[in-house]
Amino acid sequence: MDILDVAVNVSASTLRLATPLLLVAMAGLLSYQVGLVNIALEGLMLIGAFTAVVMGVEAGSVWLGVILACLVCAIGGAFFALFVTDLRADLIVTGLAMNFLALGGTAYLLQILFGVQGSYTPANFESLPVLNIPGLSDLPILGKVLFRHSPLVYVSWIAIPVTAVFLYHTIPGIHIRAVGENPEAARTVGISVRKMQYLALILAGLLCGLAGAHLAVGDLALFRENMTDGRGFIGLAAVYFAAGRPRMAALACLLFGFFEALQFRMQTTSNIPTQFFQMLPYLMVVVMLVAISVRKEWKKG
Amino acid sequence: MKEVQQVFRVLITLALALVIGGIIMQVSGKDALNAYSVLLQSALGNERAIADTLLKATPLIFTGLATMIAFKAGIFNVGVEGSLYLGAFAAAWVGFTFTELPALVIISLAFIVAGVVGGLWGAIPGYLKARLKVDEVVSTIMLNYVAISLTEYLVLGPFFVPGMSNAMSQEVALQAQLPRIVSRSQWNPSFFIALAVFFIVMFMMRRMTIGYEVRVLGSNPTFARWAGMPVRRIIVLVMFLSGFIGGLAGAGQVLGVHYRFVAGFSRGLGFDGIVVALLGRNTAVGVLLAALFFGALRSGGATMEMFTRIPRDLIDIVQALIIFFIAIDVGFGWLRRRFAPLTGGSETDLLAEGAGD
Repeated sequence: MDILDVAVNVSASTLRLATPLLLVAMAGLLSYQVGLVNIALEGLMLIGAFTAVVMGVEAGSVWLGVILACLVCAIGGAFFALFVTDLRADLIVTGLAMNFLALGGTAYLLQILFGVQGSYTPANFESLPVLNIPGLSDLPILGKVLFRHSPLVYVSWIAIPVTAVFLYHTIPGIHIRAVGENPEAARTVGISVRKMQYLALILAGLLCGLAGAHLAVGDLALFRENMTDGRGFIGLAAVYFAAGRPRMAALACLLFGFFEALQFRMQTTSNIPTQFFQMLPYLMVVVMLVAISVRKEWKKG
Repeated sequence: MKEVQQVFRVLITLALALVIGGIIMQVSGKDALNAYSVLLQSALGNERAIADTLLKATPLIFTGLATMIAFKAGIFNVGVEGSLYLGAFAAAWVGFTFTELPALVIISLAFIVAGVVGGLWGAIPGYLKARLKVDEVVSTIMLNYVAISLTEYLVLGPFFVPGMSNAMSQEVALQAQLPRIVSRSQWNPSFFIALAVFFIVMFMMRRMTIGYEVRVLGSNPTFARWAGMPVRRIIVLVMFLSGFIGGLAGAGQVLGVHYRFVAGFSRGLGFDGIVVALLGRNTAVGVLLAALFFGALRSGGATMEMFTRIPRDLIDIVQALIIFFIAIDVGFGWLRRRFAPLTGGSETDLLAEGAGD
């Protein structure tokens, strides 16, 4: 196989693998900007994946499955918000509970509803159709890399600027950031901390739904127990790596997607253990957290 | 009186969670009462059942205590899982490398090395928090994944065993394998090591200077700073101890259950430790009882699945419900203070500032 083919394949699969990361990272970004460490992303994403498949089959339309996944996860986000705002529950403990519930709940329902353990592949159920962008998909090289993907891949690209514009150029977005920056000050100028936290977490839930849906019905059409496999945390890693900046977070997701693509590639072509690439995103975050702290110390003098 | 109230609260939490779990089973068309009685039978009904319960409780005692120690100091260590993995690998390494040593020596050495390795792993985020104010929740979550991948890399790379299809190490030397106590159960002496650690932790928290310092730091970081306590050093030490106990948990699983390191074997024992510490109200005795309770649920759940065809994942759901109830419980004021999202300037900042002198 010539080198160009390899490059094209790796690039295309990088974009495909980065999609759930991008979507869940935007969810993490909203939570980060409102001042909350949202570890429930992982669980919400899993619920999204489950809903997309189950409701897609039930409703007879994979697209309806995607929409319902967003809806269910948005409700999940509101549920999370209810705990951390109105019920004044601890953020991390509640997030932990959400993840346990998602993991146990989906596995339980899988067996109760379909009598299967581990994974569920519905018959006569197809994934989202590949969307070839007319005109562009026939371009040499670029067409294959950029314009022949599952529809949610494009959605993830749109989600980045939309999230950025929302956070920096709309009133609710600016209020969300104000709350994250300094809740007391935000309250003083009349911003409802509670409402902004609800808003951010509900939108985050919605994005988790999309991310999970892409995993389940983007390229495949099945649900596997724990199919998110830590992707929610990789998304969170991207956010902390970027210190909450949308563009940097997106770049980090692309990089992490690239690592994943390399892993798949190396698994089939060489005997080198690929775990190094698996831990790279997490290692990078820790290094970045240190760098950010050091810089803060420096500034303080 | 206060203790009675605490116990009462915990019992209500458990009862509520179990009742909702029962309703879920009924809605799924199963007989909840029957399921619970099968669960109880298979968790405590005979010698083997009790042994299995103690077996499942063992790693939870370790990880619960590990989480508790950090909690006491006001540190949310989510990284016990990572220490457990590295400790487990270290124990396995000792077990298959120093095969000439006599049983008692090799077992002690494996546990100690596992503890030190797990402790050093825990001390990393501890140091980052104490010295650089890096939030330990995020750093420990990330380091968990590093530990899981790192140990998998070790068994597939430098310590690869030719001919092994799965990601696992060599078996540890025969004399390093802890014997089974009861027939047809994997229950092994690592349970008693967990008990020993329980007593040591209790003694340490009540009678030793470090215990006092940890409690002061956890309950009133400003005072700890003003009193001139070496806050930074305490944070690193506490994280080392927490990781140390996490490492022991890993060693117990390797020498007592698997007899080798198996990549990804834990599946969240470290996270269960958080639940155990919370349910145990962050006291050593509470942790022990909570670990036994979850041990019973886990061992009973497996058998329940066999007899009633109710997925054992129900136990995860019940566990999640318990955490939800704990999360909103007024009794956990210290938790709320630390992460109060509504009030801004949290205790974490105070702690970090305290560390800054």
